[in-house]
Amino acid sequence: MTRAAPTTLRPTTPAEVRDAVLDVPGRLAISGAGTARHWAGRPDAVDATLDLSALSGVITHNPGDMTVSVHAGTPLADLQAELAGHGQRLALDAARAGRGATVGGLVATADAGPSALIYGGMRDLVIGTTSVLADGTMVRSGGHVIKNVAGYDMAKLLHGSYGTFGPLVEVVLRLHPVAKATACVAVDGPVDDAAERVLALMASPLEPIAVEWLSGDPGRLLVRLEGGTSTLPARVRRLVELLGDGAREVGPDAWDEHAALTTGEPGRAAGVGGAAGAAGRDAVVRIGCAPRSLAPLLGRLPATAVTAGLATGVATVTVHDASVTDVHDAVAAAGGTSVLRDRPADLDAPAWGAAPSALPLLTAIKNQLDPEARFAPGRFAPWM
Amino acid sequence: MPLAAPIRDEFVALLGERDVLSDPVRTRTYECDGLTGSRVVPELVLLPRTADDVAGCVRVCARHRIPFVARGAGTGLSGGALPVADGVVIGLNRLNRVLEVDPENRRAVLEPGVTNLEITAAAAPHGLYYAPDPSSQQVCTIGGNVAENSGGAHCLKYGFTTNHVLSLEVVLPDGSVVTLGSDSAEQSGPDLRGVFLGSEGTLGIVTKITVRLLRTPEVMRTLLADFPSVAAGGQVVSDIVAAGIVPAAVEMMDALAIEAAEGATGAGYSLDTPAALVVELDGTVEECEEQFAQVKEICDRHGCTRLHVAGSPEERANIWRGRKAAFAAVGRISPDYIVQDGVVPRTRLSEVLERIEAMGTEAGLRVANVFHAGDGNLHPLVLFSAADGETERAERLSAGIAELCVEMGGSLSGEHGIGTDKACSMPAMFGVDDLAVMDRVRAGFDPDHICNPGKLLPTPRLCGEKPGRYRPHPLEEAGLIERL
Repeated sequence: MTRAAPTTLRPTTPAEVRDAVLDVPGRLAISGAGTARHWAGRPDAVDATLDLSALSGVITHNPGDMTVSVHAGTPLADLQAELAGHGQRLALDAARAGRGATVGGLVATADAGPSALIYGGMRDLVIGTTSVLADGTMVRSGGHVIKNVAGYDMAKLLHGSYGTFGPLVEVVLRLHPVAKATACVAVDGPVDDAAERVLALMASPLEPIAVEWLSGDPGRLLVRLEGGTSTLPARVRRLVELLGDGAREVGPDAWDEHAALTTGEPGRAAGVGGAAGAAGRDAVVRIGCAPRSLAPLLGRLPATAVTAGLATGVATVTVHDASVTDVHDAVAAAGGTSVLRDRPADLDAPAWGAAPSALPLLTAIKNQLDPEARFAPGRFAPWM
Repeated sequence: MPLAAPIRDEFVALLGERDVLSDPVRTRTYECDGLTGSRVVPELVLLPRTADDVAGCVRVCARHRIPFVARGAGTGLSGGALPVADGVVIGLNRLNRVLEVDPENRRAVLEPGVTNLEITAAAAPHGLYYAPDPSSQQVCTIGGNVAENSGGAHCLKYGFTTNHVLSLEVVLPDGSVVTLGSDSAEQSGPDLRGVFLGSEGTLGIVTKITVRLLRTPEVMRTLLADFPSVAAGGQVVSDIVAAGIVPAAVEMMDALAIEAAEGATGAGYSLDTPAALVVELDGTVEECEEQFAQVKEICDRHGCTRLHVAGSPEERANIWRGRKAAFAAVGRISPDYIVQDGVVPRTRLSEVLERIEAMGTEAGLRVANVFHAGDGNLHPLVLFSAADGETERAERLSAGIAELCVEMGGSLSGEHGIGTDKACSMPAMFGVDDLAVMDRVRAGFDPDHICNPGKLLPTPRLCGEKPGRYRPHPLEEAGLIERL
């Protein structure tokens, strides 16, 4: 059945999500806070949208076990506030959490922030999931314990799925203690210079939590350390010494600029003309490659703004919309992966780079779990 | 139905006569993995030397719908590499090259037959190491680690195999070759790499692995502490965690396990203590020293009766030698034993150990406990004597313990896998729908069900008419023949 105007459904319980999937025929889009609405392939027309933002809240928090289960529509920022009261956190600092992104949305879009260097991304932090398939099956995998190898890990399949296998309804997460002290050291310079400093840093025993270069004139390298209140100052001194000329401790607001550049928020990114997303004709592309290939690759991209994880190989680049294809091509030539994030609503540019060799496998799994292609059509266009 | 001679010829054409084993005397070597109670002699054993040959072998299997089972070192403890009758075993030990160590990108590229410890050996000259460290690391292979998503003592802080693998080259069950994962954590779409990791050889055969290497920590501090009870040791672990400290490892052993390990290794464990805890911290000098002092204080607060700090790398190695030898050492105090691998939420450790003790008493069997206390991963060792007819009781107790862990909100397996051993317990942990969906995912990889069939998911055949444990042949008992 095709509807004249798409319906929006706002289920408030997992059972209501399942009922919505069963009751509404046709194709379904899935949304959370809507912060990644324009990421990846543009959604095709659907018959209804499942808005999961009302499926929110902590289900169980076990502070002693450092695990928490939440409804998928829970905003990460709300969860962090609740966990902080117990001295705990989800060790994920994706920039868009600040704009209300939900736990389920962050899993589905495989988003992560600078601290992925040490803590990994959602694929490393999710220990259990419940999701709903196109035929209404509610499927659970993993569990509430951090160490668990029983059965296939469906959470991995949902990580980066953009909803193509169906909506997540519950997510179980492993937690980390809140760091007793955090410090940030900055040193200005172009990306090539920063890359050499990072090489020395990563060969050192200083255990940085995040290592990011931000574009600008001339650009800036930010390094985050975490540790004990009394022990951290000594490590900061060692870090300043190692990074050399111009390195100094800076306040935590240095990361705000990073977050702004990463999300392409209009007006917030210092020194970047015509912000990404809705305001200008810029597009944001997330790229990944081997860490040592990143700086040379960035040098070949027509980027207007960059945040670059020089130790992870993951970067977020802002380019004029006409250059998106060039970015995909250049990244693929460097053996990397790329996906379009925020962009002008009418931009007709490919969302994904070269198709992976496992595309037939991905399609086969899609056919197994969603044979009528009901969920999130268009997200992996033109691949499937 | 035995494989027809023309099929064998196809494998010979691919690999050559000497790399296709069909003589039962030789194929019997492959009849079981570390779960020695289950045995099936495979029809053929294939020993390819290259990834292309692995793909070629799988293509022959796919063409004729021949079931195949991949095998590394055969150290798995859940029967994941148990051969399938009328099927072939594809042994990967000859793909054993470290293809690349890239210190600048902190990664290594490996063939599946490289042993876990060889990775660290190759990385060490660059000040790097590979973090996951299963107790069998001297012999187990990275291919097997990928299949089982292996953990080890240090996964509390550093995570499991899945957290350290960037990408995999995989031969799918139709013989096609794909890359899962990428050079960074960014991937094009769903994390199929992560789905494959821990899939116990049921989704394909890995032929190349790119792993992350970590910088060797600046310092390591290891202590061995005795406690008047397992509960007191458990409270120490809780307090360490509550203090916001993430140790590299926290291991506990009870009196029976200590008796076995100390008898086998003479590593310096106290024979008169009810419980011993091994705690290791690592990191920068500043953080490590401060936290180590806190840990010692917590130990004292809970009535620690002896605290031994490793004063040298040799002493540290000794403590770990005792711990890692524990499973094998139990053979000294019991003719037979079964290792379990259940997980409980860490806060329920004391409770579950009491229940296990009660269950053991009820069954009239001893249970030794060695476990990863930091993450609630238990390794109860059920001791029994097959000669005295205790086998069935031991198997029932063992399965009961695994299912108790699930009942307490945990898991059937923390690192050994489900394999054939625990497949029939899966319905205790997952619903019918959950298992059916896992089977659909499997069908996406392996529509013909030829890739390690009968493992991981319960099947009527497996769970309805489960073959018994291995029982020695009368001639073997008489000393006239020996187990090969």
